[in-house]
Amino acid sequence: MDGSADALIVERVLNGDVEAFAILVDRYRDRCARYAMHMLGNREDADEVLQDAFVRAYRSLSRCEDPERFGAWLFRILVNRCRTAGARRARRARTFLADDTALLTASEEHPAEQWAWREEIERALAELRPEQREAFLLKYVEGIGYDEMAELTGVGVSALKMRVMRACDRLRVLLKEVRSA
Amino acid sequence: MPDVNGSRLDEVIAGLRRPVPVDPSFDSRVMRAIRAVARQPMRIIRPLMPIPRWRLYSAFAAVAAGMLAVAVLPAMRHPKGQPVQFVLVAPDAKTVQVVGDFNGWDANHAQYAAANRGGGVWSLTTPIPPGHHRYAFLVDDSLWVPDPAAPRVADEDFGLPNSALVVEDNDTP
Repeated sequence: MDGSADALIVERVLNGDVEAFAILVDRYRDRCARYAMHMLGNREDADEVLQDAFVRAYRSLSRCEDPERFGAWLFRILVNRCRTAGARRARRARTFLADDTALLTASEEHPAEQWAWREEIERALAELRPEQREAFLLKYVEGIGYDEMAELTGVGVSALKMRVMRACDRLRVLLKEVRSA
Repeated sequence: MPDVNGSRLDEVIAGLRRPVPVDPSFDSRVMRAIRAVARQPMRIIRPLMPIPRWRLYSAFAAVAAGMLAVAVLPAMRHPKGQPVQFVLVAPDAKTVQVVGDFNGWDANHAQYAAANRGGGVWSLTTPIPPGHHRYAFLVDDSLWVPDPAAPRVADEDFGLPNSALVVEDNDTP
């Protein structure tokens, strides 16, 4: 794949080289998929939101004010789409890793014990309030600093720190409960 | 790293950082949707459109005068969603396409092309998955028209004028 900087690829796309957008898809697909999957807890929804985010990014590419930071801009779109999708499906029962392919893949790659542990994590994550899950994932899984998180989410740094702290506290309790069960 | 004393939080974070499986067809699906969008003039979302003003006004006037909104047909069940009828009155139109989050905003999807029923009335009945959706009509591959008879939603990301649609899930008790 092309190792050019994001800004150069964005410029190519804006100049009509639609296929160059595939480089950006390849570059950011995995990271975005991880966030969407953990945020929504359902592979089908995550896939839909991910595609929607990329298409929206393409449609609005001319509005990307800092193409060098295309990844951050795309991530902001994804975070918004996850929020919308999360609210939409809040009334539906959550199913975690309900996808058979994902289950099989995971089972092949890891021993049963490890798979159970992973499922345990997903369930604990699902127990968090959406805004806490969002803050926790952005901070510790995506490794984003609080200032950038504030930019991404539109939430103040203090509130974000509080959400992360509460998420960590809650996760500790949940995992301890599982361990002692 | 958070305080992990006596907890398994560090393991959790390490586990969550691992890649998740992505459908192998994902890239090709996204690029197919993007090529479809690219075939439409992107300038439709810019303030100055290369469309004659009279056409724009006449389209909106026609819409305001005679358009029917989205009507959810009675409880006919469909494996991919509930049948929804989209109706637009656009006497000057040569083509009308329904685009929305349910079809990846794909303006070239044959399943979402409205048919000319005569008298300037265009309609399409197609199954839409349950849930909240955003959509619009694309007239003559260039004019973006929200459904005036449906609630408008401002796209929270980019301010595009879209319409809102709620499809009930009949499977949910």
